Amino acid sequence: MTQAGGNALRIDAVAFGYGEAVILEGIDLAVAEGEFLALLGPSGSGKSTLLRLIAGLERPSAGRICAAGRPVAGPGTDRAVVFQNYALFPWMTIADNVAEAVAKAHPDVSRPERRQRARQHLARVGLGEVVHQYPFELSGGMQQRAAIARALALESPFLLMDEPFGALDPINRAKLQDLLIEVWQGSAPRRTVVFVTHDVDEALLLADSIAVLGASPGRIIAEYAVPFGRSRRRATLLAHPVFHNLRESIAEALDADTLAHLEPA
Amino acid sequence: MNAPAKALDHFVGKASLAAVDRVLRLSSRWRALASFAWEPWLLAAWLLAAWQAIASLLEGRGNSLLPPPAVVLNALWASLPELGWGTLSSFLILAPGFGAAVVLGVTLGLLAGTTPRLGRALFPLAKVAAPVPPTVYIPYAIAVLPTFHLSATLVVFVGAFWPVFQNAAAGALAVEGRHRDNARVLGFGHFEYLRKVVFPASLPHIFSGMAVGLGFAFILLTVAELFGANAGLGRFVQYYADFADYPRMVAGILYTGAITWAAMTLLDRLRHRALFWLR
Repeated sequence: MTQAGGNALRIDAVAFGYGEAVILEGIDLAVAEGEFLALLGPSGSGKSTLLRLIAGLERPSAGRICAAGRPVAGPGTDRAVVFQNYALFPWMTIADNVAEAVAKAHPDVSRPERRQRARQHLARVGLGEVVHQYPFELSGGMQQRAAIARALALESPFLLMDEPFGALDPINRAKLQDLLIEVWQGSAPRRTVVFVTHDVDEALLLADSIAVLGASPGRIIAEYAVPFGRSRRRATLLAHPVFHNLRESIAEALDADTLAHLEPA
Repeated sequence: MNAPAKALDHFVGKASLAAVDRVLRLSSRWRALASFAWEPWLLAAWLLAAWQAIASLLEGRGNSLLPPPAVVLNALWASLPELGWGTLSSFLILAPGFGAAVVLGVTLGLLAGTTPRLGRALFPLAKVAAPVPPTVYIPYAIAVLPTFHLSATLVVFVGAFWPVFQNAAAGALAVEGRHRDNARVLGFGHFEYLRKVVFPASLPHIFSGMAVGLGFAFILLTVAELFGANAGLGRFVQYYADFADYPRMVAGILYTGAITWAAMTLLDRLRHRALFWLR
């Protein structure tokens, strides 16, 4: 059990709904400092909503969320967010997009220095050659790299990612998964990550622990610790019997939840 | 294969490639010719011919109400200095009136679109005030304000303000949720959000509002000048109409049309430049 403080995240009895509709119910979750948590669930399980609650973009109708010991009352630059639809500002070059985050992390840094640091952040995600291009000039994968660079430039202790690779082709997705782990491991102290996905393999490849959400209302139906060490390789993982057991167990939990909804009430 | 045959083969290959190349280039020139939009030019030529025909029918019966194109062109050439000064005089009304309308319309529109309380106050007022044809303000403005220049500027301002305001507000209300989320996650303050997100995101709307506003501004400008100016484009037409000098009058109308078209084209170029990021 992690104590409040550090860069841990605690979610206590959180519920969320619009009017009569209950989206999330009874969510309890603890993420330790520097831990990589995957929120895994089918569409309609409210996993993105839970991420928005942690980001402070929505307020829970009940319960409490604490980030680094402080209750979340709204969005804050301590919690960087990467959205699925590569939400860069289309009227700014990617360098300017990242420089906006640098300006928030270091308000007293001069404009040329911000640009310089933005270029460094972009170079880290392999975009050093295209810093002066606009998002519409780049592919989806490159835009998402820029979005990751911008999130990293906030230098926030928390990194929240909402299906960030969901719209990418498999090759780009694999590249960006590797990149994410590389930059996450390369920074000290490690960020606390909450990663929303509906892809079981992606969760097993990336995360330290997995919280599985069931649908209507969204709630946590299972939690798993991922026993693999870091520097995981896809090939070795696929050959690992534990990987298959976990994958099956998660799939069963999801199936059971889906079936429960098919039974007449 | 012996050497001469090889050379011949090479030569033939090259020659036929060149021929293919020539045919391709020719066909692409044909395609360019085919895609040339000749319809408007055909219509223009047709209208000019019709004008000439009607004018020559009316000719020789005293002062012609429709002078032939050549006469109008002569009058236009002779009046160019006067028209030039008139243009300057008109732009001294148009530029401050339209400029103030854009600055205030965009500022208030974006504020009303992002601040619910201000929106609740301003939108009902806009609904009532915007549809009033601004031409009805002209006599009152001329009566109340000390100079014609000031009253005309005010009327141009009122006419251009509402379309700009309404479109800017619509643009601010239509800012995509993901841009709003991003601004919030990045910790933008209200003013920063307005300047870096709402303003650029609303530019497509703002430019449509400006195009409508500029059209209104020209109409109001010339109408106001018919009332009481001593210079300007509208006044030029009115003045020579009083003398039944139809060649100059028609020349003034054509010239005013050309100036309006030029201003609109300039605005459109500006829009194209500012909205490069919209695919």
